[in-house]
Amino acid sequence: MSRVLLTGNGAAAWGARLARVDYVPAFPITPQTEIIESLASWIDGGEMRGRLVTLESEHSMLTAAGAAAATGVRVFSATSSQGLLYAMEMLYTVAGWRTPFVLVNVSRGLSAPITLEPDHNDVLAARDSGFLQIHCADCQEVLDSVLIAYRLAEDSRVRQPVLVNLDGFYLSFTREPVTVPGPDEVDDFLPAFDAESIAFRASAPESQAVAVLGGGPYSYFRYETHLALLNGLTVYDEVAADFAERFGRAHPAVEAYRCDDAEIVLLMMGSFATKARAAVDNLRDAGQRVGLLRPRLLRPFPAHSLVAQLVGKRGVAVIDQNISMGKGGVLHAEVASVLYGHKDAPLLVSFVGGLGGRDISPEEFFEMVKVVAAAAQRGEAPPPRLLYTEDELREIRKLQTLAHVERNSLGEG
Amino acid sequence: MYRIRFHGRGGQGMKTASRILGSALFAEGFEVQDAPRYGAERRGAPIFAYVRADRRPINERGIIRRPDLVVVADDTLIPVPAAGVLAGLDAYSVLLIHSHESADTWRRRLNTPARVLVLPLIEESADRADLPYVGAVCAGAAACLLGVISEDALATALRDELGPLGEAVVQRNLDKALAAYRQMVEVCGVVTEGREANAADYTPPEWISLAFEGANVSAPVIHAGLTSSAVKTGLWRTLRPVIDYDRCGRCWWVCSSLCPDGAIQVEEGRPTIDYDHCKGCLVCVAVCPPHAIEAQPERTAESLETPK
Amino acid sequence: MSDVETRFHRFKDLPSTQLLGTGTPMCAGCGGLQALHEIYDVLGEKTVFVNAAGCMTLLSVYPFTPFRGSWLYTAMASAPAGAQGVRDALDILLEQERMPPEEDLRVVVLTGDGAAYGMGLSATSGAIERGLDFLYIVYDNEGYGNTGQQYSGATPHAARTATSRMGGGFRGDKKDLFDIWVAHRPAYAATVIGAEPLDLARKVERAMAIKGPKLILALAPCPTGWDFDPKLTVDIGRLAVRTGIWPLKEYVDGRVVHSKTPHPRKPVKEYLSLQGRFAHLFEPQRNAAELTRMQAKVDEYWADPAT
Repeated sequence: MSRVLLTGNGAAAWGARLARVDYVPAFPITPQTEIIESLASWIDGGEMRGRLVTLESEHSMLTAAGAAAATGVRVFSATSSQGLLYAMEMLYTVAGWRTPFVLVNVSRGLSAPITLEPDHNDVLAARDSGFLQIHCADCQEVLDSVLIAYRLAEDSRVRQPVLVNLDGFYLSFTREPVTVPGPDEVDDFLPAFDAESIAFRASAPESQAVAVLGGGPYSYFRYETHLALLNGLTVYDEVAADFAERFGRAHPAVEAYRCDDAEIVLLMMGSFATKARAAVDNLRDAGQRVGLLRPRLLRPFPAHSLVAQLVGKRGVAVIDQNISMGKGGVLHAEVASVLYGHKDAPLLVSFVGGLGGRDISPEEFFEMVKVVAAAAQRGEAPPPRLLYTEDELREIRKLQTLAHVERNSLGEG
Repeated sequence: MYRIRFHGRGGQGMKTASRILGSALFAEGFEVQDAPRYGAERRGAPIFAYVRADRRPINERGIIRRPDLVVVADDTLIPVPAAGVLAGLDAYSVLLIHSHESADTWRRRLNTPARVLVLPLIEESADRADLPYVGAVCAGAAACLLGVISEDALATALRDELGPLGEAVVQRNLDKALAAYRQMVEVCGVVTEGREANAADYTPPEWISLAFEGANVSAPVIHAGLTSSAVKTGLWRTLRPVIDYDRCGRCWWVCSSLCPDGAIQVEEGRPTIDYDHCKGCLVCVAVCPPHAIEAQPERTAESLETPK
Repeated sequence: MSDVETRFHRFKDLPSTQLLGTGTPMCAGCGGLQALHEIYDVLGEKTVFVNAAGCMTLLSVYPFTPFRGSWLYTAMASAPAGAQGVRDALDILLEQERMPPEEDLRVVVLTGDGAAYGMGLSATSGAIERGLDFLYIVYDNEGYGNTGQQYSGATPHAARTATSRMGGGFRGDKKDLFDIWVAHRPAYAATVIGAEPLDLARKVERAMAIKGPKLILALAPCPTGWDFDPKLTVDIGRLAVRTGIWPLKEYVDGRVVHSKTPHPRKPVKEYLSLQGRFAHLFEPQRNAAELTRMQAKVDEYWADPAT
């Protein structure tokens, strides 16, 4: 065991290395590339056993990942943003194969307009695919989550691929102290992959991923996958508890930070949630009863934990680093759906912020809490708010002028 | 919490500087975060990297708005607005400039509330992008200014970061870093940990409600050609090609056609270099048949420029 | 040509047991199924088929499979990548002695022309450049057959399809997939047809002896898509060879060699006139100019067939 400075990408690569993955189908994309470069150099240098193959697209990469997992080896892969979307057909497809492996996604905003910095619309596009999703807030969590993800994926009650998400730039290129567990400790926690019946062998013919005719059989297979994901809730809790016992780091399905006596709660996912944590400390210093809830698991959705934490609170700022066009924040809708019908459910206020890596300042967190407190007092939620300032509008106006957008069609500002 | 920003040009080793300082703070028992800011990360273009350090776990993330220390590796960046060198400096901040000029000169010139210090630039290089050891030098000076990093910790960190480049490189960098550290001894510990945000007394954000605008305005479309000429890539240049018209053969095409940026215009056989956009690649210097184009250090060339 | 000693000299040398199961949902008279079962008989059951979307997706419909060996359905664009994953995983298991050698399998991609000539080209090109040890079988019925025979990259000139129903049929020309493979310098490539089973068996046998990326491109006469009486599948297949429209050839050791040179060649109209998709060339009026051009194209090929 050693504590070293690692980027989020480095932590992901260490997770794969410690998991002793057999096979890494790869394709480069910013800001993920450092992960596969690290693995390639370890494999080439003989520090790690395994085979890395660069495919010609993410679609092929996911196909190879699923196919190798279906043959019975431990598989790791990584992508980001446009790459995840290019592979989207295969995400849904391989999830239906019921084969376990781990895919790391380094979140990055989607085109158009194309950008490099993070938000969660990429990974949320995979929300309904049948991959379990773990969202990380710091670099330590990235390494730990890759290990937890293999246990989760390979558990016979689940047997599904797992996606581990980390934010581009804010984690991928940022070094933080990370405790790298010793290989023996990891081997005890995560034994060699027992593929059981997952195999292609000469002596045991199998037709995998075959077609069905008719909605009845189709419904059966699809719903069984859904049930496997729901099992993931229990299995996750067990695995996370075992992990905490062995390694001393707790990664519950929902992080609750200073929530016990909180009246107002900030609710968000990913690395920006650590900014919310800092703001909670500042607000507590100022005598306000504020906490943070951060779902680490998005699929399966930890409905019970969230309800247990939220019922009885006065108000919640749901901060979505994503936007469902024509609806709004995805997390807001998900949280609202699980609170529906609960007596003493808190008032939810929807905020959309951090799109394309746009910063969220401490003052904005303070202000969100103020808005939620006032709304809870009134008993009525204000309309959803995009975190966007006058300065930012002035900036875009300047850019629009340079882009020769007709001045007379520009609004005030 | 300490918040430190390093500003330099692509190629000057700002990521290395932030990593050396980050590792040194980590070796001294701090929780640390360090990161480069990637963008148009091209040789000569302005870039920055940052470090946070605290005795407690760090929850803050992303770029540093209110730095306790800003280190400027290349003083020619200070007047470049896009570099954002002076952003967020206040009376509690320290600004360390790697420069030939004196601290007094910079204080008069800048009108910043921050405390201005100078790290004398000992070695000059014709090409500022090749300024030797600048990453190590900046990290060494910054380490001393913080007052919480020993020379040993600095050396260990430098070895960790530069080890793969070989012992000779490590040793040369280490000598420079330690020399810079010792030059700062008089102001050792001058940088103090910044204040935390105050939730009881803050300036609320000026949020606005974004209104609908038609796609003719709100689509990411540029409604004209050639708008990129508004980007002054001449700021990337550390070496300037200068034409000696006495030797210029008026061939009318070689330098102009082969300039990758189209930054050389020819009128009546006379080539003119557009210094607003010339990036200083020096292809023209290499290809000119009568060798009539010479590379000059940008700093000296700038001061020789006649005012319009 | 590296002449491997063949076990197929006469028709009666061909395997007499049929390895591919009955009961599949392929159309009666399917030229693709005919070629597949002939290929499978030679390949044997220690195979895993990695399938791309096409007519043969429906070979394995839960809970029925005609294969004695294994099968993995992937998607339309990426069957070669699926083959890559399976091959790599098997190699890893062998290397690490987690699987005895006798459990190893041949990895075979099975694809129609829709995927092979179009959406799947990039994945195929990638697998060849990586030197993947796999056999790539194309059943080429010259259109998106499973969706009702719209034109694909394999559709020949003048054929009427569901998306080129009127006028003179498809205006473009058939893409040359064999040459696209040869340009990659693969380990092996061959064209075959189910109507010439001896030639087919020898080529599959040769391909099996070579490691690396290998193409078996089978023209698949399609009663449904080409509009002919299913009993004519073999006649049309033989005519495709004897008119010179479908040259039987192979690429091995860096050279293209024809395994059958039709002599004398029959006129192309004998092949075309049996198929409804080309009926407009003969009725209500004979389109002499088009038929002459199509004959000339074939003649031009055979004037210098070794290229």
